[in-house]
Amino acid sequence: MGELLGRLSTDLGERSTYDASSQCSRCGYCEQACPTYKATGDETRSPRGRNQLVRLLLEGKLEERASARRALETCLLCSACSTACFAHVPTADIVLEGRRLLADRPWAGRALSRLLLRRRPLFELLLRCANLAKRSGLSRLARPFLRLAGLRGLALADEHVRRAPRRFSPELLSEQLPASGRGAEGRPKFLQFLPCGTRYLFTEVALATRRALSSRGGSRPLNSGCCGLLAYNYGELSDAREFARQVISQAEAAAQAEASLVVDCSSCAAFLKSYPQLFLGDPFWKARAEKFASRVRDAVEVFDEPAARAGAGVVTYHESCRACHGQGLKAPSRLLSGFSAFRPLEESDSCCGGAGAFSLLEPELSEAVLRRKIERIARTGARLVVTSSTSCLLQLAHGLRKYYPSCEVRHVSEVAAAHGSTTGA
Amino acid sequence: MSAPRPSAALAELSAQLPPGALLSSEAELAAYAYDAAHDRARPDGIVLARSALDVQRCVAFCAARRLPFVARGAGTNLSGGCVAARGGLVICLARLDRIERVDADAMVAVAQPGVVNLDLQRAAEPLGLFYAPDPASFRVSTIGGNIAENAGGPRCLKYGTTTNHVLALEAVMPDGRLSRFSLEDEGPELLSLLVGSEGTLGIVTRAWLRLLKRPPAVETLLAGFDSIDACVACVSAVIAAGLVPRALEAMDKTTVEAVEAYASAGYPRSEAVLLVEFDGESAEVERSTAEAERLCRAHGAVELRAARDPARRERLWEGRRGAYAAMARLAPNVRVEDGVVPRDKLPEIVRRIREVMERRGVKGGLLFHAGDGNIHPNMVYDERDPAQAANVREAGHEILRACVELGGSLSGEHGIGLDKREAMAWLFSERTLELFSRVKAAMDPHGLANPDKIIPLPGGERAYLPPPARELSAAARRLAAQAAGCAAAGRAMRARGAGTRLSRPLEPGAALLELSELSELRELDRGNLTATVEAGILVRELRERLGRQGVFTRLPDVEGTLGGLLAARPCAWLRDEVLGLRLLLADGGVCELGGKVVKNVAGYDLTRLLLGSWGGLAVILEATLRLYALPQRPPPIIAGGSRQPRPYGPWARQLKAAFDPGNLLNPWLAD
Repeated sequence: MGELLGRLSTDLGERSTYDASSQCSRCGYCEQACPTYKATGDETRSPRGRNQLVRLLLEGKLEERASARRALETCLLCSACSTACFAHVPTADIVLEGRRLLADRPWAGRALSRLLLRRRPLFELLLRCANLAKRSGLSRLARPFLRLAGLRGLALADEHVRRAPRRFSPELLSEQLPASGRGAEGRPKFLQFLPCGTRYLFTEVALATRRALSSRGGSRPLNSGCCGLLAYNYGELSDAREFARQVISQAEAAAQAEASLVVDCSSCAAFLKSYPQLFLGDPFWKARAEKFASRVRDAVEVFDEPAARAGAGVVTYHESCRACHGQGLKAPSRLLSGFSAFRPLEESDSCCGGAGAFSLLEPELSEAVLRRKIERIARTGARLVVTSSTSCLLQLAHGLRKYYPSCEVRHVSEVAAAHGSTTGA
Repeated sequence: MSAPRPSAALAELSAQLPPGALLSSEAELAAYAYDAAHDRARPDGIVLARSALDVQRCVAFCAARRLPFVARGAGTNLSGGCVAARGGLVICLARLDRIERVDADAMVAVAQPGVVNLDLQRAAEPLGLFYAPDPASFRVSTIGGNIAENAGGPRCLKYGTTTNHVLALEAVMPDGRLSRFSLEDEGPELLSLLVGSEGTLGIVTRAWLRLLKRPPAVETLLAGFDSIDACVACVSAVIAAGLVPRALEAMDKTTVEAVEAYASAGYPRSEAVLLVEFDGESAEVERSTAEAERLCRAHGAVELRAARDPARRERLWEGRRGAYAAMARLAPNVRVEDGVVPRDKLPEIVRRIREVMERRGVKGGLLFHAGDGNIHPNMVYDERDPAQAANVREAGHEILRACVELGGSLSGEHGIGLDKREAMAWLFSERTLELFSRVKAAMDPHGLANPDKIIPLPGGERAYLPPPARELSAAARRLAAQAAGCAAAGRAMRARGAGTRLSRPLEPGAALLELSELSELRELDRGNLTATVEAGILVRELRERLGRQGVFTRLPDVEGTLGGLLAARPCAWLRDEVLGLRLLLADGGVCELGGKVVKNVAGYDLTRLLLGSWGGLAVILEATLRLYALPQRPPPIIAGGSRQPRPYGPWARQLKAAFDPGNLLNPWLAD
């Protein structure tokens, strides 16, 4: 058994994991919100089922504990169920507690988060090698061997990810530094957090965030480490806490100790906002985490301002789970109203199946969820779909290439940077 | 991961099904051990059926091995209806989720049982149509589950519950046969028997559902009252004025306060809040709303708001919709009780519910579909504390006993399931319960389809007896004695009213049970708009007598007696007009079915089954009819009045043997 959080921050206040899971009254109103239940019709793939199983595990009423593993592994952690739930039972956190209880974490995830935490230069070196291999076509040749070696996830990752940047965003942003705007006191108004996704893969998003912020008071990158979500979801809690302490300390040490921290990946933004939950038993760090969390702003919040009118064919919006369900944020309707042909997406707040490493760990289920999403996008006739999380960018790009290639996906920051703000400085 | 180890028998079944269809790991069994109510029991296996054929294979397999089986949709049942009380196989229908056809011209949808109610609504909407039943769970619950429970919802005040919207069903019967039942079938009305039978008589695999035209206008009115009494008086006045709202929803102050703390819907903080909603043609809706508004004021409404555009209407509904949610936040569990009383007894039942809750220290709010007397006390508790759970369950049962004492019923829309099966003995006489058991045994001789539901287990203690039924009239007593005599002598019998329908000559040696003296109007309840009438009364005379009293029936203007009309069922819509029956059974015994409430899902719908039975199952002695405040124009009679009965089909013959084991009543019907 891994270490558990033991206590969770819930909508009804701080609760033990057991009390939080017992708050599920089994009414079942969450079921149709759950993409994996909708895809399978199976109670063990539903939020209610997962809550009940974790509760049984905690009560010691499941003899074959491992039989609950698949139910918990298949959760997207999208939290659509918590939005649908009257008591907002935090199923995703409860499922993670269940996985920790079963010590069920993929080794690759644990290794990766360790690497990021302790040996970041090594990680970056490995990534550069991988990118080189990708650009040279070598990785493509390696896919069958990876599969043979039981590394299906890596092969899939190589297949899904069509990006191999030569340089990462800190380097690119530092080149842009002189161009960055200045606030009233001559200091940038915002700090820009650099999520792994836009740091290593979608570097153009990080640059777009920077450009978009420049007209809103300017920004300075916070060159901290990973937010720790990877460790929280797939690794050790102690590592997640270590990441959190590093990020908090760096944010506190920044010249703009009060400035808002803009995050251009909704998954990271939601996790940064949930830092206090990691320190419920530690008043010193909890207070710091709370102060820190209050500074975090998702790009979705910051850039929701009326934009200059733009026509680019039909545009639609996919709400990243960690924005709408993880943070309760609405789609940036003012920004989107800048498009002359915006069409709302049916089930826009339903997960695309990317969900971090889910698409690599549960490819079949992920594909079923993805197909439904792409079908909804295709129904709008969109040429562009806008979203806000790295995982969605990857998954939708993969899905669109495969099923609906006449449409592309962009991050909110890119839209904000391209169209500018009508009210910006 | 340890490999699932299905028992040897289930492995055999697995071979007949698509790969992955059978689930049997411990976690899987645990996840199918519950529904939305309190009870839990693990099944031995679960099949995720993908076709009617899968269902048929499962049932045939269970029938051959005497293994119990339970059908399940979304598992949102509130009475333990989909809990595998005796283990066995759970047959999950959630993946049978195709809407096969929506015919806009015929206004019919053909749907598989796993279709979610909301998805059917969405499919009908673009065609300008809607599906009327709207249970609170409509976003997740399935059509199959709605049919099994005869689900209602706020709109059913005007449109009726699920049973009124089912035109035909295809079902896998307990022996594994696939059968079709239609409203157009001749003979006993088997379709209505299946609806609301909680999966104990068969598993629906396809449903033909009636869709309605979307009304052009809808208007909602919200009113606050200083007392429950004033609110209920207003509801009665609205109905007495002949207005037909599609919803009349009320909630008490505890509920309002819980909602306001959670969602601040801006409701008046008065003792009772009432929502009235009308739909139809614009002018008619406007007239009705104005009249309802006037009545609300006349009954001392402290606050009144009306809205017509959808967004503003939705705001008025917000508090009502959030009511369960608000309670669900107060404690881990909510017991959503479900009982019915005659509408005019609402103030009394509210007083008694409050007394029960106070005495037992239970926290709860009250919601009610006020128009049809259907109450939902929502009591909060933590199931992990057995004392609390038992206390709340007892409180619920006390409330149900109070409903029965006030002339009501045990369930308006949630069903009996496991949770209330013992309570059935409080409502129904020994005779009626025995009849239910015989009906179940006729359709499912080995008791495999969702066993141990609805009917109290044999040997259970009867601590509380149902209130005695009204005495029979002298004429009815004479008839019962005559039937008992015939039964003892093994003599065939035929019930005869005015002799206008059946042209077949009387069989030699058969006795005539003459109903012509059964002509009493036994009870007229103006407040509740019901009348209990003896079956020998001429329909024309009944219409006149009621009219003279200022109340009206929708029965057609036809020759012959009421009993004859019901037994012949020349038109399907007759089923909406009959709320209860009193029957003379083939052995001379008497039993009561249904009651005075317009919404009632306790037990099998034998009332409707009797319609069209041509005197072959039992003799109708009395019928309780729905009345109206204004004259009604009955819909046309499609089948000719001179239609003659034909021998029963196979399922009806089995039921005849259950009702009339000696085949004494019109024996030729079983030929």
